[in-house]
Amino acid sequence: MSELTDQVSSSIDALTKEFEIIAHNLANVSTAGFKRRSNAFSQYIETPEAGTETYLPGSIELNSVFDFSQGNIVETGRSLDIALYGKGFFVIETPTGPLYRRNGMFYTNQNGQIMDSQGRIVAGEAGPITIPSDVGIEQVSVSSDGSISADGIPIGKFRLVDFGDNEDKLVPNGENCYAMPDENIQPAVAENIVVKQGYQEASNVKIIDELVDMIMVSRLYEANMKFFTASMEVANTIISAIMA
Amino acid sequence: MLRAFSTSATGMAAQQLMVDTIANNLANINTTGFKRSQVAFQDLLYITLTEPGTEVVSGTNTPTGLEIGSGVQTAATVKVFSNGELENTNKPLDIAILGEGFLQVSMPNGDIRYTRDGSLQLNANGELVTITGYPIEPAISVPIDATSIDIGKDGGVNITDAAGTQSVVGTIQLARFPNPSGLSSEGGNLLAETLASGTATTGTAGESGFGTIQSGFLEKSNVQMITELVNLITAQRAYETNSRAIRAGDEMLRQANQIARF
Repeated sequence: MSELTDQVSSSIDALTKEFEIIAHNLANVSTAGFKRRSNAFSQYIETPEAGTETYLPGSIELNSVFDFSQGNIVETGRSLDIALYGKGFFVIETPTGPLYRRNGMFYTNQNGQIMDSQGRIVAGEAGPITIPSDVGIEQVSVSSDGSISADGIPIGKFRLVDFGDNEDKLVPNGENCYAMPDENIQPAVAENIVVKQGYQEASNVKIIDELVDMIMVSRLYEANMKFFTASMEVANTIISAIMA
Repeated sequence: MLRAFSTSATGMAAQQLMVDTIANNLANINTTGFKRSQVAFQDLLYITLTEPGTEVVSGTNTPTGLEIGSGVQTAATVKVFSNGELENTNKPLDIAILGEGFLQVSMPNGDIRYTRDGSLQLNANGELVTITGYPIEPAISVPIDATSIDIGKDGGVNITDAAGTQSVVGTIQLARFPNPSGLSSEGGNLLAETLASGTATTGTAGESGFGTIQSGFLEKSNVQMITELVNLITAQRAYETNSRAIRAGDEMLRQANQIARF
């Protein structure tokens, strides 16, 4: 009896978390460069004795990973809206180490350096990229490999990196950035990437998919609750049968 | 309580801001020199439930962590300074800036404001003023005996007097900013310098990155009705979906409450 309710509460707990992740995906349907998290369940593994692995019956665990698939490319016409097409990230320099992002809505600070919306400097291959003061923002052009030129004169190149198969180890840091907690993993230079100026990468959240998942979660939640109520009734019946 | 409620609420608030911005863009579709705004969103901080690399069994670590995000926040509303279409008005005092640059406007308290609206007028003293009546900076006075006035591509104001002699009475100077998106909107088509925008660089039209001046034209707003309407529909649907998530969460809590009824 208690085993059953443990199983049910474990799955209810996991479903609630999944629901919260779906709500977060939906809240970010308009966040440029946002990557949705996809959810999968797995069973808890326990090792009663060394060398043997068995599944703990019924207990499930939620695994949630980033879905780094490409978002749609949307035209904005703003010269410092830079979209990435393909695998890779921009690098943001912070005092606590580099952060990685897909969102390429950049600005310049009062010194003409390219920065993100939080005022953090965007890394170029040779340090920060500075737009000379005698060149207007509209005369800045970014080529498809990330090279930046101001009025025809090269001023730098965006540092674009790729984590390959280690992409899953990135952790979200909020404000459209990811961090790599494992210091042993160093990103490589991004190879298969196209940089597009005047465009944004839209969020890869698809409302329909999230709604379908949401319905699924609600129904599974309902089913678990029904099972819980039913097992309570069974217990009641047994108890009253014995008492009588 | 479900975290999803507050998460979805941030999503609804974000979409509402998006609709507000679109409404302002659409309302200004016929405003001379208006630049449309776009909203930049960013994801809110995450709650980490499992650190990546947590040991499950000795020697086996989880490949990924479990982080649950807490919604969305607005990073900024960004003005897009792409050029608007030019409209031919045939009025010599209507000017459009082709390319980068702002006209400088001097306010009654001595502050300088910046505008792309080039519908200039002459006031009672013969000064060149904006349509609201603020003089442009540097001040340019047109003599009373001028019979015709003409503004060149470099901003030079040429007049012809009654005797038929031509003379230059002043040159319109343009201003430019390192980060024009950082300018603050003051209403009345005026923008003000901020710490974020950086300090203005002034110069002559057509030189060192400044646009040229086209007399007889006005720059229309750069709002594209189709784009705004598409964004409006998207925002409305996203708002609806976020509210549906709240309803679904409410339903889940209702079911949880019903367990206790036995």
